[in-house]
Amino acid sequence: MLRANNLVVRAGRKTLLHPTSIALKAGECVAILGPNGAGKSTLLSCLSGERGSEVGRVFLDDVALDEWRGSERAQRIAVMPQSVVLAFPMTVWQVVALGRSPLGDETQTRHWQKEAMQKTGVWALRDRLYPSLSGGEQQRVQLARVLVQIWEVLTHSVNDSAPRYLLLDECTSALDPAHQHAIMGVVRDFAQQGVGVCAVLHDISLAASWADRVVIMKDGAISAQGSSNILRDASALETAYDLPTPLARAYAEQNKVW
Amino acid sequence: MMPAMQTSHTHSNDSETVERGEPSFVRLTSALVGLLIVTFALALLTGPMSITIGDVVTGISRTLQGLGVDGSADWVVQELRLPRAILAALVGAGLAVAGAVTQGVFRNPLADPGLIGVASGAALAAVAVIVLSASVLSGWKALTGPFALPIAAFFGGLLVTLVIYRLGTIGGKTQVAILLLAGVAINVLAGAATGVLTYLADDQQLRDMTFWSMGSLAHGRWPEITALCVFILPPLIFMLRSARVLNALLMGEQVAMHLGFNVQSSKRWLLIGAALIVGSSVAVTGMIGFIGLVVPHLLRLVVGADHRQLLPLSALAGASLLLVADTLARTVIAPADLPVGLVMALIGGPVFLTLLLQQTKRWQ
Repeated sequence: MLRANNLVVRAGRKTLLHPTSIALKAGECVAILGPNGAGKSTLLSCLSGERGSEVGRVFLDDVALDEWRGSERAQRIAVMPQSVVLAFPMTVWQVVALGRSPLGDETQTRHWQKEAMQKTGVWALRDRLYPSLSGGEQQRVQLARVLVQIWEVLTHSVNDSAPRYLLLDECTSALDPAHQHAIMGVVRDFAQQGVGVCAVLHDISLAASWADRVVIMKDGAISAQGSSNILRDASALETAYDLPTPLARAYAEQNKVW
Repeated sequence: MMPAMQTSHTHSNDSETVERGEPSFVRLTSALVGLLIVTFALALLTGPMSITIGDVVTGISRTLQGLGVDGSADWVVQELRLPRAILAALVGAGLAVAGAVTQGVFRNPLADPGLIGVASGAALAAVAVIVLSASVLSGWKALTGPFALPIAAFFGGLLVTLVIYRLGTIGGKTQVAILLLAGVAINVLAGAATGVLTYLADDQQLRDMTFWSMGSLAHGRWPEITALCVFILPPLIFMLRSARVLNALLMGEQVAMHLGFNVQSSKRWLLIGAALIVGSSVAVTGMIGFIGLVVPHLLRLVVGADHRQLLPLSALAGASLLLVADTLARTVIAPADLPVGLVMALIGGPVFLTLLLQQTKRWQ
């Protein structure tokens, strides 16, 4: 389990995160929603160990995250940032292979890299240079990279059954609807193999169609959480996003379809 | 599940070359090793005095066995051309790798130690030691002994590296414009300070100093080479072993951290290593610019940005390039010795301009 207890993050005088606790179980798909500046990405960066908390800590398997060795942590938690800019000529395949650098077995796992690229639909782009791709293509390459990082879960190895976690920060922001759902479907397949997935999403209906559990944040704290049913509740959406009533109703109606 | 994705792409060009890229790396490495041997041999054979291959072989074997000098041809090989060629190879390899590493850490292909002022910081420190060691800095000379120059140059280079890093990095991102402008400013400042020291210097010191600003391999003898090996080879090996973290750093510090690397300490040690290489090279050979810019740039065009290939190839190509440049410097206006820094600037300037043009094209 990946668990955060009473995280508090401040930047200058501003409090980005009020005491916030969250737990991510293996095999679970959690969507974090909320308006801009609500603290979604801050929470995710705490969970990944990138950012420290003033009070409270993050625990992976009941061991504090900052006590893990970097390479061992990276074999358990893979993180996909919103966008990755590259100023140098690296091919798609080279970028995906970087996902194996925690173990340094890039050459031995090339068949995994190929499968990951096929899953996210970038196999045909494997020899293209990453900086020349569109934003959506770059996101799919990055997803292949983080999937390859935790690929062991698919091999069901007996001596390595430790659960893996996938943290995604708006990983579909540059994708068209078809690719959005396809990508989230790939991620879901990984969850079914025991990966705990936590995704910051902006698209309410995508969250409604995908998540097992929804966490809504507002002003640096969790304001509501539960099954994706709360996204079908107009009044909950209205308070969460400060939406005008008719719009909230429209969204809620739309989410009922999923 | 995945509508347009798999159907359209898979099997389009499924040539399954799993070890793709590796053969060309092997081929390129052997080609560059061959080039290094040829340029090294040329450097030993060319010059005002004609030396035969036989003389070279005898000279090298006598050096290896620690036998003394035997005749004038042997003296030229053992005491002039061989140390000079080794110095050129060592400094060339070091500067090329240090350039590639600085560019990787700053995530910018223009971040050459010479351009961003590291070399001039090192040169200023070295000049200060030359001019002031009799007066203000007498304690330094007593403290560091024969290593006074390389250590001072190292700290000069390191100081500039840290200043540049603080100035050029805002919110974890490197600002290229600020980086290059800060480099210009530091070059100007270091130039002015060096100018002031010029006025304080006596005749002998002046002669010592002239070659600092232009760069020359003429002062390389065996003791200097031994010292340089100590300062260049350990950081060089460390850098070659850091190729993985450099690759990860290309995608940003955030991603490198998520891949399990200790980003802050890697970055710090890589920059310290680069300052060591640049500083100690400057201490012995003066300012030789553009190797760190030209070599990695050309190699990236051929093999891409993977540091596991880029760094060793840069070492080989950098060594060859400086050997060729120095052979030219020795022979073009022989018996006079053209500063090799000038030759490198003539080669490097146009390449740098091309690089700038390409960047502006990409921004448009």
